[in-house]
Amino acid sequence: MKNILTIIFRLTVACLLAGLVMGAAFILTDKAKKHNLHVNEQKVMFSLLGYSAKKPAPETVVLHEVYRYIVSEGESLSMGYLLPLQDGSFSFVTIDLAGAFVAQNPVSIPAEKITEEGERSQAIAASIGTGKTIRYADQTIVVTNAGKRTAYLLPGKFPGFKTFITTILALDRDFSILGLEIMEHEEDPGLGGEIVQDYFKNQFKGKPLETIKKLEVMKTPLPEEYLMVLEASRRERLDAEEVARIQEQYKDSDIYALTGATISSTSVTNGVKAMVKKFAYRLEILDRVLAEQHIAVPF
Amino acid sequence: MATDKTSFQLVVNGILNENPIFRLVLSMCPAVGISTTVMNGFMLGIAVLFVQVFSSCTIALFKNFIHPRIRIPTYTLTIATWVTVIDMVLAAYLPEAYAKMGIFVKLIVAFAIITMRLEMFASKESVNASFWDGIGMGLGFMFGMMALGFVRELLGLGTILGYDVLGFKPLLFFVLPFAGFFCVGLMMAFFNYIEIVYKRAKRA
Repeated sequence: MKNILTIIFRLTVACLLAGLVMGAAFILTDKAKKHNLHVNEQKVMFSLLGYSAKKPAPETVVLHEVYRYIVSEGESLSMGYLLPLQDGSFSFVTIDLAGAFVAQNPVSIPAEKITEEGERSQAIAASIGTGKTIRYADQTIVVTNAGKRTAYLLPGKFPGFKTFITTILALDRDFSILGLEIMEHEEDPGLGGEIVQDYFKNQFKGKPLETIKKLEVMKTPLPEEYLMVLEASRRERLDAEEVARIQEQYKDSDIYALTGATISSTSVTNGVKAMVKKFAYRLEILDRVLAEQHIAVPF
Repeated sequence: MATDKTSFQLVVNGILNENPIFRLVLSMCPAVGISTTVMNGFMLGIAVLFVQVFSSCTIALFKNFIHPRIRIPTYTLTIATWVTVIDMVLAAYLPEAYAKMGIFVKLIVAFAIITMRLEMFASKESVNASFWDGIGMGLGFMFGMMALGFVRELLGLGTILGYDVLGFKPLLFFVLPFAGFFCVGLMMAFFNYIEIVYKRAKRA
């Protein structure tokens, strides 16, 4: 009996100590980790827009974050957009599913707290009044250069072969794809994991909206000349004219599937397709409502 | 039962006489799975070195408190704690290294070499001796992994540290997991042979 008690006591103390050490490490490192993730995300976004450390984005380029929520009141559902306004404050605009304007509520939240999910939801809930519940859906970043819209960045996530694939997609003003970056995935290394490779993800680059709407995956080998253009290291060996010609030739083609990873290839293709289609549809409605209601947004 | 070896002898012991891979033949799964390139071997080696040193010191420090009947769960808990802490610290302060090493660090929880070293050495010896033994074992593991990685990368991919040195791929199957076993066996024979030659020369 005494032994049982000693074992329980000592193992408990060991667990408590381990918990303390891990908890302390978590508290000390969590902030830096989140900061790193944020910095990395920003870096990826700018690189998708074509800026890098060598070619930094000019001061006139501004990223405006728009958060989309699903607002439910009893049985009825509507969309809510948290928008920045020109005077620096924030506003929550609700639009019903048919595309008609419902309400506009000012949201009081300091600008530096806007990226924090919890604080943001609380501020919105306080502004729209009782009886309504909100659920966070996704985030869109509208990029402007000197006040003019130049691109959209869509962080998104869709199911892959095993679990979710997290991506950031960059679109230009006409919804053609500027670039695709895979942030997180758990596809099989060497098979589905190849979705992060240039020769797969760069296939999406330059595809216009009309092509994306009917984009499919095809199981034919990737032509050698196209491969040369897709891989950054090999592209340098070709001259610019040749690159442009090949890019134009394959602009409207379907996506060449990865060998041994048809499901991962299809997931990414369908995920991108759905993201672009839905975004183009929603943005059109949002833009129309903003114009009708004379809501002054900085983008 | 304190060891009478000096710290230098403990380190050398880990690298040569009791090399985790070629002598103790422990942690073969990761050794065979990961040692496809020199860089992979180095990354895993560094990660093991840290976890081994921290765990050995912890166990040596608390050896009188750990109940002998539940020592294995306590070792596992210790290793898992240090792996988690190192994982968090790397993710927070060295994000670039973490992007490459993260996957290796998480593997270490189940490594036989670390548990075995805690059982055989740290639970009986002083903190100081355990520290040097941990360094020796970590370096020995790193040496073994890098030696394996060197042979497999050169023969399988024709490169060293990613640089093309041969210009062609002699035996691609060397980078596949099963070839790891061939490689370990052949290199073990090679090191044994060197030892025999060395001892013979010493005697003569």
